[in-house]
Amino acid sequence: MARERDASARPEERADGHGRDGATLTGEELVLSYPSTDEPVIDGASVSVRPGAVTALVGPNGSGKSTLLKGLADQLAPDDGSVLVDGEAIQSYGAKELARKMGLLSQESTSPDSITVEDLVYHGRYPHRGFFESVTDEDERAVDRAIDLAGCGHLRDSEVGQLSGGQKQLAWIAMVLAQETDVLLLDEPTTFLDLHHQLEVMEIVETLRQDSEITVVVVLHDIQQAARLADEMVALKDGAIHARGTPEEVVTEELLAEVFEIEAEVDPTPRGPRIEPLRPRYGGDDETRSETPVARSDGGGG
Amino acid sequence: MATETAGSEATTRRERLVGWFDGSLATLCLGSLAIVVVGGLVQVSHGAYSMSITSAWQAVLNPDVILNARAWRAFVFGPTVPILGATMPEMGTESLIVWNIRLPRVLVGALVGMNLGVSGAIFQAVTRNELASPFILGVSSGAGLMILLTLVVFTGIAAFLPLIAAVGGAVAFLIVYVIAWKNGTSPVRLVLAGVIVGTVFSSLQTALFFFANDIGVVQSAIAWTTGSLTGTDWEQVRMALPWTVVAMGLALLSSRQLNVLLLGENTASSLGMSVEKVRFALSGVAVLAAAASIAVAGIVGFVGLIVPHMVRNIVGSDYRKLIVGCIFAGPALMVAADVGARLGMSVLVGSDTQIPVGIVTGLIGGPYFLYLMRRQEQLGEI
Repeated sequence: MARERDASARPEERADGHGRDGATLTGEELVLSYPSTDEPVIDGASVSVRPGAVTALVGPNGSGKSTLLKGLADQLAPDDGSVLVDGEAIQSYGAKELARKMGLLSQESTSPDSITVEDLVYHGRYPHRGFFESVTDEDERAVDRAIDLAGCGHLRDSEVGQLSGGQKQLAWIAMVLAQETDVLLLDEPTTFLDLHHQLEVMEIVETLRQDSEITVVVVLHDIQQAARLADEMVALKDGAIHARGTPEEVVTEELLAEVFEIEAEVDPTPRGPRIEPLRPRYGGDDETRSETPVARSDGGGG
Repeated sequence: MATETAGSEATTRRERLVGWFDGSLATLCLGSLAIVVVGGLVQVSHGAYSMSITSAWQAVLNPDVILNARAWRAFVFGPTVPILGATMPEMGTESLIVWNIRLPRVLVGALVGMNLGVSGAIFQAVTRNELASPFILGVSSGAGLMILLTLVVFTGIAAFLPLIAAVGGAVAFLIVYVIAWKNGTSPVRLVLAGVIVGTVFSSLQTALFFFANDIGVVQSAIAWTTGSLTGTDWEQVRMALPWTVVAMGLALLSSRQLNVLLLGENTASSLGMSVEKVRFALSGVAVLAAAASIAVAGIVGFVGLIVPHMVRNIVGSDYRKLIVGCIFAGPALMVAADVGARLGMSVLVGSDTQIPVGIVTGLIGGPYFLYLMRRQEQLGEI
């Protein structure tokens, strides 16, 4: 079997394993809004992320999944509600202390073009170093591990400006991995990448899921990827959590119809549910435009 | 085997510590040093009192001065400081001219170039904007206004000029920051706010001229606002040196913070940096450096803008290298420009008139900036 889905078995598997204990991450009744908007983007959402597992946030454009991640990452102060890491309020952590606990890979990361991949990854050690402290052996080991895990050893001395979008993303992932946090938040790490690099990024997350106790929360645009990658999924629509559970529980034809407003077929496979999108739905009820080209070319399979 | 591994680990660590000091940076530093030495030599051997290069060198290396403790006490502490200070000892005319007039001017130029280059480099990282400089973000005009207020109105506190200039610069930068702030700042907003504050402060400076009833005060005020090294001596070295040492030291120590700031506010804060605090502290260092240079040379334009640019073109945007590069390239530009300011007119029209060095740096800086604008498609964000 390509994939072990019995979640309860996993902690025992790793009882003797290396790596850190998975930390809990909880958002309680979060209300999140941007200064430029009146209406909150997320209105009273509660999430509890399972320690050591991969949780995927999915939803259509504008559903608030990235906003929820920013709230959990303390990049956006909540209007109401609270975020707890290991049971303690996120505000009780110092800035560096929190950065040793929780790492975030933002959607748009910018860096000077002339910086090398290695130097970029070393910046991931920032929260572990004092103001005047120089590089320690521990820093070096962490950077080597991170570069190894992200599979960008061959890019180590390349300048970031010379890399393709996919290679850049691997370098940035290596940077957050070098942070060696208990919780890792990834905001659409595969968007805009070619298929090869999408699969590379997914493999990295897969490795984290299997070989470490790190708690991963990932926002994914592609629900198929999410279904394949995640232990748990949280589906959002219009700023509210619509469904949560294992991919098998969440990825259903009804949910795709309600949340993503598409008609699709879902087949269970060993790699998680496989989704075949058929046609868009309109108006949110059962009425569909059956005369669309998509429907015709599909031979009316729905 | 084990020792071998340990040895190679130690090597990689040493490489991390000093490995960034690469060939291009070494070339830049040596080249800059050569320009400073040649420029300094030209400065000490030419002028109203003419002497040959040999006699100029002899005066520079005069053991009666170099090995004279009293002379150094006079240079470093001045005649008024008790115990440590001393009056200038007797020396020959040539030694006197070289050591008392020409050499300190080169030194002041080097300190000013250093301060402006590093100040600009820090501001460019803090605002993540290549167009930022002490000049554009209002610090110069704020410090300049305070200098004028001191010269014209509060003449009694002239001894604290560097401190007053620093306060003026800091206040002006804070005002720029507050004006630019709207859910965070952006490069364009900062530059625009700098223009606004600069305009207002320049008007106030101009207004102050009307309250000056002494033509001498007006003339010295004009020299201040254009940027000039004319008449600088050891007193200016004494004034700028301590602040320069502090500012350069802090800038070198902060290079890693500057590098992390370049990754953007989001990444920096997710790495655990208190972005606002660090930005504020670094701005303080940049303001100190800018104010130290303004206090001795007035408002010398364009140096703080183009030195970091030149260095970045050669060594890249790693601030560990960039700060070191600016500490060397700034003096090179400033000393070379001052050669033009002091001796240019005598070469061109044969008169002994000196022009303010700020005019020369503007004449070099403007076209260089135009060249950059033409060559680079995207000029702005680092």
